[in-house]
Amino acid sequence: MITFDSVTKRYPDGFVAVDNLSMEAETGQIAVLVGPSGCGKTTTLRMINRMIDASEGRILLDGADVKEIDPPTLRRGIGYVIQQAGLFPHRKIVDNVATVPYLLGWDRKKARDRAMELLERVGLDPKMAQRYPFQLSGGQQQRVGVARALAADPPVLLMDEPFSAVDPIVRTSLQDELLRLQSELNKTIVFVTHDIDEAIKLGDRVAVLRVGGRLAQFADPKTLLSEPADDFVREFLGKDRGIRRLSFVSSEHLRLRTDLIVPASSPDTAAAPGAWLMAVSEDGRPVGWVGRDEPFGTYVHGKDSMRAALDAALLSPSGQAVAVDPEGRAVGIATRQALDEALGEAADG
Amino acid sequence: MNWIIDFFTDPANWSGPDAIPARLLQHLGFSVAALALAALIGIPLGLLIGHTGRGSVVVVVSANLARALPTLGLLVLIVLLLGTASIWPVLIPLVALAVPPILVNTFEGVRGVDPDLRDAAYGMGLRGPQVLFGVLVPVALPLIMLGLRLAAVQVVATAAVAAYVGLGGLGRYIIDGLATQDYESVVGGSVLIVGFALAVQGLFTLVQRLTVSPGVSRRLRVR
Amino acid sequence: MDDEQPLFKWSWVESNWNSDSPNSIVNLLQAHIVMSMAPVVLGLLLALPLGLACVRWRYLYQPTAAVMNVIYALPSLPLFMLLIPQTGLTQLTVIIPLTFYALAVLVPAVVDGMGSVPDHVRQSAVAMGFTPLRRLVLVELPIAVPVVLAGLRVVTVSSISLVSVGALIGQGGLGNLFTDAFQRDFYTPAIAGIVLIVLLALVGDGIVLAAQRLLTPWVRARRAS
Repeated sequence: MITFDSVTKRYPDGFVAVDNLSMEAETGQIAVLVGPSGCGKTTTLRMINRMIDASEGRILLDGADVKEIDPPTLRRGIGYVIQQAGLFPHRKIVDNVATVPYLLGWDRKKARDRAMELLERVGLDPKMAQRYPFQLSGGQQQRVGVARALAADPPVLLMDEPFSAVDPIVRTSLQDELLRLQSELNKTIVFVTHDIDEAIKLGDRVAVLRVGGRLAQFADPKTLLSEPADDFVREFLGKDRGIRRLSFVSSEHLRLRTDLIVPASSPDTAAAPGAWLMAVSEDGRPVGWVGRDEPFGTYVHGKDSMRAALDAALLSPSGQAVAVDPEGRAVGIATRQALDEALGEAADG
Repeated sequence: MNWIIDFFTDPANWSGPDAIPARLLQHLGFSVAALALAALIGIPLGLLIGHTGRGSVVVVVSANLARALPTLGLLVLIVLLLGTASIWPVLIPLVALAVPPILVNTFEGVRGVDPDLRDAAYGMGLRGPQVLFGVLVPVALPLIMLGLRLAAVQVVATAAVAAYVGLGGLGRYIIDGLATQDYESVVGGSVLIVGFALAVQGLFTLVQRLTVSPGVSRRLRVR
Repeated sequence: MDDEQPLFKWSWVESNWNSDSPNSIVNLLQAHIVMSMAPVVLGLLLALPLGLACVRWRYLYQPTAAVMNVIYALPSLPLFMLLIPQTGLTQLTVIIPLTFYALAVLVPAVVDGMGSVPDHVRQSAVAMGFTPLRRLVLVELPIAVPVVLAGLRVVTVSSISLVSVGALIGQGGLGNLFTDAFQRDFYTPAIAGIVLIVLLALVGDGIVLAAQRLLTPWVRARRAS
């Protein structure tokens, strides 16, 4: 756990970058620091590994004051990922990843084996190991940056806008990859971004900072969207808060109708006259509406959010969403009525 | 052309104190000594100033001064003031003119390293000297080598001019030849010095190839 | 000369400042300016078309740069000597090698200068309908000026100091003061020569710098803001 206890960063010229910040980043969770430029989010992050020293207050790493620890020693136990990856251009990828293990005096072979394992873990071809950074794309370099930060298996990871220099498609895949990695590794991650959507997607808890380095709100994404603390947070979150909040409401409580699903081989239209019926193949997969050549949308019941379910319903003139299981077999139909009920519950909180 | 052939086939130029190999070795000796001294001064100073960012004025001033100072004038003045009893006085201007290119390029090389790279290095827990020698120097090496190469070529040229004030080496052929109107010797010596300078240039280009990481020079093609 | 000579004798400067002798300081200064500035002007005039050709036909640049690199490594004294059979003991013998050194610095400077023109600026000039020649003269060259003039400063200063080596063939401008000092074991001309050459270099550098300020007022405006 990382604890900020009334931390202030004041520069000699009087400029206050971080103002009396108190918050906690829970062990095994992703805490995101988000805010406009000049809000002190990067300064806050860099005070954890003492790239910048706090002027006042204490920062505790599992109860130990970071000020008491020699900076290089402290940093070797904390993974650090920055925007441009900051890979060493003169070293091969495998040696870049093994940097901290080498520093910690690991046996060379062990360090390299560990590096190879991590490259695979972050989804890079082992062939990349013998290349130099300039031979990799921006997205690949960023993956190497993450692998390098993880090399010595530090419990804490600091990420400073790691994905903001890559194009949106690569960024999305890097974000998904990070969430997948985190589900396996359970690191304590502090992540800085200026992109509120990224913050809401990645954060277990999101700290919104305002210019001048003051904490405006620190909450889980759902609470942030439904109960912004003030106008600044509301404005920073942007439009569509209501819809976006549905991303955090599970679809598991949607009431499904199974009687609207019929086998494609012998569709029985008599059971529910006038209703939209979904025909399924022999292995249970939805194939189309009976008697109507119209599109349909599916969502994975219980796993996808209400937002996905609503989206699936809006894709079809029927206004109904087809619920499927993780294998893609239809398990029922969420009708307009069912969606309406669930949205009502979501709006109530 | 005939002068050149005559010069190189003249047996007098292959034996005794005026022999080509002896003069070549002398020239090499002065040049290596001056370059080594200049490197010992220029590289640590350039690394220090580039790494700490303090004292960059020194670099700019020395670079400009070195370009403006006339070599011959410096050589003459030093020898008039200190005499020619030993070769050390002559080495002073040689070293003084070789330090600035080394200093400036080492400084520029270290200072020009991407700040993100420094940040990442410190952030991973490298200590100051590890950052300097493990990251900054390898990345700045192309410029450091360029500085050494420019200084080496400069030293070779200045050592030739220094024959005028009594230094041995290949410049003697030119100075003595001019004095005795022996144009064969002048041309032969000139060809030798030019060849020597080009060999030095080639040697440093080769050393640069061998020492600079392919990741920095980007010489590798993506396979 | 006796051993107790003073470091600097003003009376020598006064009596040699402006006499009828070709070796008076003023005459040497004039010769020095001619021999050092001719290579700078010639070098610039030749480097512009050469550099622009290298920009236009990219494949020319690698070999040109390699040749310039080699030229820059050639020592001046032997070059003077090798030219004597063709040009004799004249100023031309000094001017020709110095022109090559100027080229070796200025051609890359022109190429880098053109490279410093942002692509979006070039593209928008094309989009607004500039013909290639007008684009070059009105848009690209002005933007390239700071980089080219930075090279020109280097060339001006080193040209002024290099001329003095020509004294070994009697054509050194103020450099002749050094051979004079050496032959007579007399400090004063050597010191006067060094001081005058460094001052001349400072003045030359200042003139190029002033030209740059005049030609690129926007650079200073940006720095001030």
